[in-house]
Amino acid sequence: MRARLIHQDDLPRLVARLRRDYEVVAPFRGRGRDTAFEVVTDRNQDQLALHLPNPVYPPKRYALPHIERLLRIRRTDGGYDLQPAYDETPRAIFGIRSCDLAGILHLDSFYLGRDFRDDHYARRRRNLFLVNVVCTDVEEDIDENCFCVCTDTGPAAREGFDLQLMDLGQGEWMVVAGSPAGEKLLEEPFFRRGGPEHIRRRRAILTGVRAQFKDMTSWFAATVRYVSRGKVLESTWQEIGRRCLECGGCTYLCPACTCFTVSDRQTGPDTWERVRLWDACALSGFTRMAGGHNPRKAVHDRRNRRFFRKLAHYFIQRELSMACVGCGRCVDTCHGDIGMPSVVEMIRRATVMEETRHVPSA
Amino acid sequence: MSHPPESLYLPKVAVLDRVVDEIAEVKTFYWHFEDPAEQAAFKRFRPGQFAQVSIFGVGEFPASLPPSPTEDETFFTIRRVGSCTEALHALKPGDRFGVRGPYGNGFPMEEYEGRNLVFVAGGIGLIPLRSCIIYAMAHRERYGRIQIFYGARTPRDLMYLPDLKRWEQAAGIECYLTVDRPDETWRGHVGVVGSLFRKPDVRMAVENTTAFVCGPPIMFRFVIQDLKGMGFEDRHIVSTLERYMKCGVGKCGHCCIGVAYVCVDGPVFTYEQIRKLGEEI
Repeated sequence: MRARLIHQDDLPRLVARLRRDYEVVAPFRGRGRDTAFEVVTDRNQDQLALHLPNPVYPPKRYALPHIERLLRIRRTDGGYDLQPAYDETPRAIFGIRSCDLAGILHLDSFYLGRDFRDDHYARRRRNLFLVNVVCTDVEEDIDENCFCVCTDTGPAAREGFDLQLMDLGQGEWMVVAGSPAGEKLLEEPFFRRGGPEHIRRRRAILTGVRAQFKDMTSWFAATVRYVSRGKVLESTWQEIGRRCLECGGCTYLCPACTCFTVSDRQTGPDTWERVRLWDACALSGFTRMAGGHNPRKAVHDRRNRRFFRKLAHYFIQRELSMACVGCGRCVDTCHGDIGMPSVVEMIRRATVMEETRHVPSA
Repeated sequence: MSHPPESLYLPKVAVLDRVVDEIAEVKTFYWHFEDPAEQAAFKRFRPGQFAQVSIFGVGEFPASLPPSPTEDETFFTIRRVGSCTEALHALKPGDRFGVRGPYGNGFPMEEYEGRNLVFVAGGIGLIPLRSCIIYAMAHRERYGRIQIFYGARTPRDLMYLPDLKRWEQAAGIECYLTVDRPDETWRGHVGVVGSLFRKPDVRMAVENTTAFVCGPPIMFRFVIQDLKGMGFEDRHIVSTLERYMKCGVGKCGHCCIGVAYVCVDGPVFTYEQIRKLGEEI
């Protein structure tokens, strides 16, 4: 991987350069700590910022839209005309965090792998340029619910980006190219060479940032083992289920969730579109069949489902990554305090206590 | 890995040829693809696979493929139970709808060669097994004994009547029917499907035998008990599962049970696999 330096004041030039080839989306500040990804335009480009809280609504939607048209359906004389719909807009996400980037890489292995390759996803993804920004500002970039160090996804992504930006302080940013397209951009005149001193600074900053996560550590390894081997007690799932308000927030905000439902909607007298929409295994209708039979009725069965899907060894092997990227959004949104770190902790505690129950104390 | 050049989710337009009443709320819909090339490609399906049926503007649903690839016609047998099946039931011959597939693993018919086949179906559970039965009969020499046990609530709930008559009279296969509640016309056996196993004139194949079980959950549980009592091993009991599905290709997530996606890893599972799924079926 090649690396260069860019001065803070030249970052807008990089964005302007990207806008020549791509529709660029980037996080912008709203009110308070509220932030959101929006398209960069001539009007808002001055307000671009790279140190700010990660938006609650993840940039996953640029790879897998919340609502995505799959098919245009037109009734003709005595028949139907069906046209698949694809979005092949060249698009760049400027300022995607390492956790959200890991989410997209997880979607890649899910949607592009196995027996069937999803062409709607593939075409959109092929045109997506990813500019990762490393979280270094402990006031702005990171909050108390981040746990990417536990999922091994951050604070600095190791792969999957086209460019990676990291603030080295003193107005200098390190830029690493992670793809041929990214390397090509490094030829722009506003990049310059760095030296060993910059690599030292990068290392020191990352060590410092990692130390900020000490209050938020999750024992994933043990929990993955317990979940994969079916060791988690039914009573633990019930406890988790009792806390679930079935809002679906954890799923809708998750950068690594993949499930969708499909719906036809009318767009004209003789036209319809078939769309897919994010769906959530937290909701009871998720498995309900026509006629009303629902094989997964109980709330705790559905919670079990979500965490099994994310933590079972089988799936981690299949997708080569855990379907949790440590972004902390489920923690932020959950009213019942059963975001991923809490669940990991509950499972670990209950299972360890059960396993040691019969051991006489010394 | 090779992949189709177009959308996974693109149905092909099919024409409804004719509709046959089976039992209350259940009809068989004979159809063919508008494009003969599609029809030829589709006909390579295996018994036990399924397809996604589209009613444009309403939605899409998974449906078993009851025909055998050895038969000429393609059809679905569908119970009217939700909005999409309601819309399908309202179609008239000549109307268009969409089909994509076939999907799923299907029955590994080669693995059963040289073995006896026991089919146990309850109610509309005969729909997914029909394909396998017809296929085995078309290749009669490849299999040992073939026994069919089929039970329905009442005589009016027995499906595929022409097939049943043929199976009852065909040489080389045994077909036993039963109903839970007889009417004045019924001269046959009365009782749940499992009670057929204990009829004096029935000699169940057990050794070197694969049993296929499809029907409502309660029937499934009791039949499994009966079969295991007779000495059937879990790996020689086979069923097909049904789930809410939106894609049929392992992406939408709805049909996933434990680690298995019913649409791509199933819908055919051995009872040994079903027990290991880790969730209620």
